[in-house]
Order: sequence, then structure tokens, then C-alpha cells
Amino acid sequence: MHALYTAIFEPGFFASPQVHVAVSIGAVVAVVSAVTGVFTVMRGQSFAGHALGDVSAAGGSGALLIGLSPLAGFVGLGVIGSAVMDLIGVQRLRGRDLATGIVLGAAIGLSALFIHLTSISSSITGVTQQILFGSIFAVTPGTLPVVTALGVIALAVLGTVGRPLLLSTVSPDIAAARGVPVRVVGLLYMLALAVSVGLSSLVVGAILSTALLIGPPAAALRLTRRMAWAQLTACLIGVLATWLGVLLAYDSYYWGASHESLPVSFFVVAIIFVGYLASGLRVARGRRCSRPS
Amino acid sequence: MFKPMMQKRIAVAAAAAAAVLTGLAGCGGHASAASSGVINAVGAENEYANVLSQIGGKYVRVTAILTNPNTDPHTFEASPAVAEEVSTAQLIVQNGVGYDGWINKIESASPNSARKVISAQQVLGLPTDTQNPHLWYSPRTMPAVAKAMAGDLSELRPAHRAYFQARLRAFDASLKPWFDAIAQFKAAHPGVTAATTEPVADYLLTAMGIKNLTPFVFQADIMNGVDPAPEDIALENGLFSKHKVNLFAYNQQVTDALTISIRENAIHDGVPVVGVYETMPTGYDYQSWMMAEVHAITEAVTNKISTQQLK
Repeated sequence: MHALYTAIFEPGFFASPQVHVAVSIGAVVAVVSAVTGVFTVMRGQSFAGHALGDVSAAGGSGALLIGLSPLAGFVGLGVIGSAVMDLIGVQRLRGRDLATGIVLGAAIGLSALFIHLTSISSSITGVTQQILFGSIFAVTPGTLPVVTALGVIALAVLGTVGRPLLLSTVSPDIAAARGVPVRVVGLLYMLALAVSVGLSSLVVGAILSTALLIGPPAAALRLTRRMAWAQLTACLIGVLATWLGVLLAYDSYYWGASHESLPVSFFVVAIIFVGYLASGLRVARGRRCSRPS
Repeated sequence: MFKPMMQKRIAVAAAAAAAVLTGLAGCGGHASAASSGVINAVGAENEYANVLSQIGGKYVRVTAILTNPNTDPHTFEASPAVAEEVSTAQLIVQNGVGYDGWINKIESASPNSARKVISAQQVLGLPTDTQNPHLWYSPRTMPAVAKAMAGDLSELRPAHRAYFQARLRAFDASLKPWFDAIAQFKAAHPGVTAATTEPVADYLLTAMGIKNLTPFVFQADIMNGVDPAPEDIALENGLFSKHKVNLFAYNQQVTDALTISIRENAIHDGVPVVGVYETMPTGYDYQSWMMAEVHAITEAVTNKISTQQLK
């Protein structure tokens, strides 16, 4: 029994300060991403979510270049980007792919510039890894209160506009007819989305933030159609995937003789992918059983 | 006791600088590829460029590519201007072991059978998969590279062979105080241990008889811009809190939030910090730079004094 326990939790896991930071920040980020992501999936805005990830990559690398914390840039430019995307019309179905794609391309171009300039002008190392693919084990403990505060703001915004947002998500026309300020609600949602993507950039990197945003909600929405249940299930899947990813990355140090550990972001994203496939299996079996033979 | 050596060093540096200046003045633009006049040469890193101008003297115009001691050389990307400079050079001195892979690309993109290329890796006969590329910290590197430089310069300008050989002898002699300081430290301080962020000064630490207790995987992760494992971070911080090391060699050119927090832990636990550089800092020549690092390490071990930055 003890052998099994130490095989799962390799020595020092619970004592490691890096693990403490990763597990707490990971949980906050997974919850915020899951709650936001359910709306993202229902509104069919995964692509906009991904583009915001790229915008926050430009922000994070720009922040490093001028000597700020990457989190400030991830969230700051993400929020500005979301407002701009709202202005140029991501809420309209026609043409929004194009607008999103244009913003995405420009943002990645800026990231390339900022990462290059940071590398040639300062001693800061590992910028590409940190911005694009995440460096959760290298995040300082002081970041946790900031992450929590931003997460609470995003959740508060979604909580406030939750019902009108759901209505305008399901049917914008009915929502408008009932006097819901669809435009304002949509903009507030975009801001919450920007914050959530910015936060998950910290854990799995800007490029992979979409995985944490839409993966758990997509799996959850296959399992249940009720909003509250879907959000709760998405939170559970997201937190589990993040924690398991942290654990596997920690354990991977002991897998090879050379003690090379593997990145957290890979494990988190891989677990989410497997979770999504598994939720599909369950749906498929459910369909087969309910069908009269 | 460092005074006379310093003076000698300054004299050598001044002679080298003057030689480069006269070289530049005599050149006035791109010299022809003929076997007379000034040789256009490139040192991929400024420490090799510095030694090259010490050996080549007035017959060489040396350009150094990596010169900024405040950036990470591992992330360097060559600009078109650098490519132009390299492709027109008659003599190139580079480190090898993948440290300056960009220069190999420029060389193969601009084939020139008359061009001479000296790679420290090849001169030392090291395999390509050598783990630690910071060869110039090893006391056996520069004498061998300088000898190769004198040889190639003599082939490019056979008439000045005696001149190059004389400068090579002067260079070799100027390294003696450094060798002596290393040997002296090794004899006087057995069993010294160190922690590092990167394998920058590892060859020098080994030569001084200092054991580096930081796992190589951790050093390689920092060097390659990859996040080290939490296990290795715990091990590294433990070296300070358990007072297992006499000094902490900190690479000033490759930093992030993690290396800074590790340095804070070292300072907190009273472990003296020695700033080490990959690129030769401004105001030094190769010999005075290496001497300054040995001096800083000696101060850390004997007097527990930190030298975070070379000035």
C-alpha cells in the first residue's frame, strides 16, 4: 500500500513550494476557465478564445520586454484585445472568423517581435517557453493573490450577467426582444473571457490556454445539458486535469535515469484531450442503449 | 599581490587595443583578399576576438559578434549585417559545440576555400555532444586556440610569421599569473564546493579543484531556457540552507524569476555569490577577465565576500 502511495506521489511532492504554487494557481485558473468556457462553447466562440490567447501572448512578451510581470501583460492586453474584437464585430456571425483571424495573426507577429527583442536586449531566459507554453513551476508564490483577485473579478462579472448572458447566448433575438442589453452583456463576457485566458496563459501558456478554456466545458456539455451542472462538471474536469498534470510532471523526474522532467502544460492538455474523448464514448454508448433495437 | 600582474595585464591590453586601432586606421574599409595588408577576421564571441587581436596585432582587423555581457548568448540570432561581416572574413574563430551554430550556417551559405576557420572545439578535439560549451573557462583552451590562430595568421601572411610567433609567446607568458593563481588556490583550499545556475564557469571550478554540487540537468535546463524540475530546485536551495557549499556561481547573463529567487536564498543563507559571465565584460581583456573571476572565487572562499558583478 505504501509502495503504491510513493509510486503515485514521488518523494517531496507535498513539501515542494513549487508544487504548492502550481496546485493553488492551477485550481483557481481551472475554475475560472471552466465557468467562462461553458459560455464560450455554447456561443461557438472557441476561435475568439484562442485569438485572445494569442493576444495575451503578445501582452506577456511585451510585459517582459519592458520589465513587468508577464501576468500583467497577459491580462492587460487580453482585455484591450477583447474590447477591440468586440468593436470589430465578433458578435456577428458572418465575418467574425475573418476579424478574429486577422487579430490572431497580428498578435502572434507582435509576440515574435517582443520575444526576439527580450532575448537580444536582456538576460531573461526561457521567454518562448514561459509565454507560449507556460512555466507554472517557475511562478513565484506572490502571484497567487493577484491570480485569485483577477479570478474573483471574472467570476463576479459572469455571476452578475449570468442569466441575461445565457439567454442572449441561446437566442440573441429573444434576449433583445425582452430588453436584454445584448451588446453590453456580450462585451462584459468578452472581458471575463480575456481575464480567464490571461490567467490560464500563466499555467499552460498562451498558445495552450484554449485547451483549458474549452476542453473541460466541451466534455461537460456532452455529459449534461443543464447549465449549473455543466459548469460544475467542467470545473471538476479542469481542476482534476490541472492537478493530475502537475503530479505527472513532478513524477516524470523519476521516470528516466537522467532526471529530466516533462512539462506540466503537456500533461494538462493531454489529460483534457483524453477526458474529451472519454466523454464522447459515454455519449455514444448512451445513444446506443436508448435506441430501440 | 595582484598589483604587478594587473599592471602587466593593463599593458598587454593597451598594446592589444592600440594594435586593433592601428589595424583599423591602416585598413580604412574592406581590405583586399591579397596576401598583403590587413586581414579581416571575425571572433564569434568577444573573448576569442580579443585573443585574436592580441595575436594578430597590427596585421588584423577583428570584429567580435557576441559582445553584450547583458544578454543570453544562447538565444542569439544573426542579422544580415553579421552575415555580411562573417561571409567576407578571411579568418573566423568560433567556439563550436553548438554554442555558435548560427555561424556555421553563414559559413556554409557563403563557401570560400580561402577562408580559414578555427573552432575551439576542433582544436581541443572535443566531440560535438560535449555537454558544457563554455570552453574558454578551461585553462587549456586559449593556449591551444592562440597557437592555432598564430598558425593560420602565418599562413595568410607568411612574411609576418616571426611577428605572430612573438605575440603568441607574449600571450602565453601573460597567462602564467592566471595559471599560478589557479594552482595556488587548488593547493591552499582542498575540498571546496560550489552551487551554480549554469555550467558557465564549470571548467574553471574544476581546474581550481572546486566540486560543483548542482546537478548537471538543472544547469542544462537553465542554460537551455527550460523550466527545471521542482525536485532539482529543492535540491539547489537545500545546498544553501544546509550550508553544503562555499560559494554560488551565478550566471549574470541568463536570469529569470527562478534564478533570482535562488540567488536570494543563497544570500539569505550567507553563501557568497560570484557573478560569472559568458561574454567578456566591458573593460577587460581575456586574461584580466579570467583573473578577476579567480580573484572573486578566492575572495568568496577565503573571506566570504560576494562579487555579484565584475566592474
